[in-house]
Amino acid sequence: MATGPLRFCTPHIDELPTTGSRQAPGFAWVAVSGAQDDPAKNWGTSNRKRARASLNGPTEQQKEALSARQQREVERKIRDLNSDNSKNASELAIPKKEGGAGASGAVRAGKTPNTKKILGSGKTFAHYLDDEEAEIARTGRRDVDVEVSTGVQRPSKTPIARRKTREDSSVSGSPAPVTPMAPPPWPRTAQALSYGEITNLDDVDDEGEDAVPPLPSEAQLEALLNAPPLTYGQARSRPPSSSAAPPRRFCETCGYWGRVRCMKCGAMTCSVTCKDDHDQFKCLKMYA
Amino acid sequence: MARQKSLPSAPEASGHLADKTLIIDNGAHTLKAGLATHLDDTPPNLDSCHIIPNVIARSQRDKRTYIGPEYSDCLDFGELAYRRPVEKGFIVHWEAEKAVWERSFLHKDDAVVKCDPEETSLILTEAPNAPVALQRNADEMVFEEFGFAGYYRTIAPTLNAYAPSPFPSTATSVSGVPLECLLIIDVGHSHTTVTPLHHGRPFQHAIKRLEIGGKTLTNQMKLLISRTFDVHREDHIVSEIKEDVCFVSQDFNADLERVWRGGRYDPRAVDASLLVDYVLPDYETIKRGYARPHDPAVKLRDIMLGIGTEGGRREHVLTIANERFVVPELLFSPADIGMRQAGLAGMVLQSIDALPAGFRQAYLANILVVGGTSKLPGFVQRLESELRSLVDVDEVVRVARAEEPAKNVWLGGAGMAKSADLMRSLIVTRQEYAEHGDGWARRVFAGKARR
Repeated sequence: MATGPLRFCTPHIDELPTTGSRQAPGFAWVAVSGAQDDPAKNWGTSNRKRARASLNGPTEQQKEALSARQQREVERKIRDLNSDNSKNASELAIPKKEGGAGASGAVRAGKTPNTKKILGSGKTFAHYLDDEEAEIARTGRRDVDVEVSTGVQRPSKTPIARRKTREDSSVSGSPAPVTPMAPPPWPRTAQALSYGEITNLDDVDDEGEDAVPPLPSEAQLEALLNAPPLTYGQARSRPPSSSAAPPRRFCETCGYWGRVRCMKCGAMTCSVTCKDDHDQFKCLKMYA
Repeated sequence: MARQKSLPSAPEASGHLADKTLIIDNGAHTLKAGLATHLDDTPPNLDSCHIIPNVIARSQRDKRTYIGPEYSDCLDFGELAYRRPVEKGFIVHWEAEKAVWERSFLHKDDAVVKCDPEETSLILTEAPNAPVALQRNADEMVFEEFGFAGYYRTIAPTLNAYAPSPFPSTATSVSGVPLECLLIIDVGHSHTTVTPLHHGRPFQHAIKRLEIGGKTLTNQMKLLISRTFDVHREDHIVSEIKEDVCFVSQDFNADLERVWRGGRYDPRAVDASLLVDYVLPDYETIKRGYARPHDPAVKLRDIMLGIGTEGGRREHVLTIANERFVVPELLFSPADIGMRQAGLAGMVLQSIDALPAGFRQAYLANILVVGGTSKLPGFVQRLESELRSLVDVDEVVRVARAEEPAKNVWLGGAGMAKSADLMRSLIVTRQEYAEHGDGWARRVFAGKARR
């Protein structure tokens, strides 16, 4: 039990890009800036002395708030960039066909109950993703064959002798084997070992020219090719290694490299002329 | 016991492979569709592939709604409201997609590709890593609503293996035989995917996706141009500007220096060879915008008022400078807008690193680039040089772009449709679907169930 004052230290939570209701990447680069320039560091005071006096720089809470706000901003921008600008898309009614006036009602709605449901549903991609995430969270990756809407599952009435095992019944089958979603552990270690042995023998003479890494065997290849497909979220490419350069910032007015940061709103410009333009027309102090 | 599917009309006897095959490469921006048949041996012809805009657009000015192929009849593209049935590469809004398909294939007078679904097999492509519910929706719509005689659904990159290889040293492939090793980079409208293929089958765990595509580039272009002139609602016009004027710079830093005007105390001479004047269409005299090299002598204001130009014609001209290469730079460094993903070269290496070590050289040497956005000038060269700088000096890197990047997937599908044996082994007929159900069909398409 803590006896001293309780201090809530937020652990550094690195949000991996899952597909919640947001489809944007899960973090934003927190720009590294000088001590004086960052307006958010002096909460409500425009007092530079205070900022300088807080010797440790921004407190953790301030850093939290800053990064959360920036994160939201960047996510919103990226979502806008990837949108279809279909704000009024739902108002676009699809006109009926000119011909086939009599049957158009039935044709529009769909010929079978399944298709009626599909044609009538207003789900967006985000809904399907969320559904799939929920499905995976409940069970392993499964088909949507199993009726989720039937409430309580009744105990089976088939005599035990007649019951088929789960693998046979096609209702519960799924295209993927019901194993965790990690990629099949192709024997990377085995490969590395055999490669390692070869190079150890030769490392006196040639570097790598003779030691061509062996191709995987038929069985390993089949295992790789038959692996289940990844989910949508798993297939996103990973972030670059942490040794990569910090993000490049550009001037808001002209597009050259950003060199100076506006103290009031945090936007970057490249030169005095661009900065004047920013202050006059684009700086957020006009609205804030 | 499999659920008995109720199909609206009786399916014919199983085992009968329809003569004609309709291949639809269902993209977010356009459909690439065309017929092919396995009855004759002529190699597939790119002219039979029709590009159909996959959009329903409503124009406030004409009060008309354009569905699918009618979009190219539109006379005034200003301020169109769009509705796209495909989101993030997957068909989500089937109501709209059904309207586009019907208009393109089933319209009695004016179909782009006339076909009768009851006697045609369908090869449909989808993007990799689809949610299962969307796959099921697609299967149900194809069989139950349209009633195609046979159907095969696959991810789009796999069809590229059946198209002729652009690498000069590879032997020409027999139709129906896939290329052995290919790494496909599909730079599409919604996103960019990297897929390694082995004899036409993908390595599922190595498929990577970057959430930047042509749509992102167009929207970024809108933002940048709107610094001078507001084009946020002009999707079509900005898309044309992007296609006409953008290129991928081989040396980004140097090019950015060349077009910088300099600071107040440090003015620089701008290299005018990189600047472009773009004349916007006004849909009265100028039907389609065009670009011309920048002419610093003429003042933009005079042009807009029609003073001093020949014939007193008024033109609305935009000067486009660093947007030309800053926008496509997003593909190579998504961190510029704050996206936490590696650029294209990094993603390719992530995919290759996920493969067995023995394949590394094979896949580095067989990189094929497809997709509409890859038509940007300088794209292949820049990708190749970035990749080369990231791998060992003695590894061979070959990157090639398909001759027709937009139609290559279709070409592969047509090559596949030419081989009757291959089709028989892949296609699921209506009869089989009715007997076994959609779960079984899905497993067949994933390669899990043998027929």
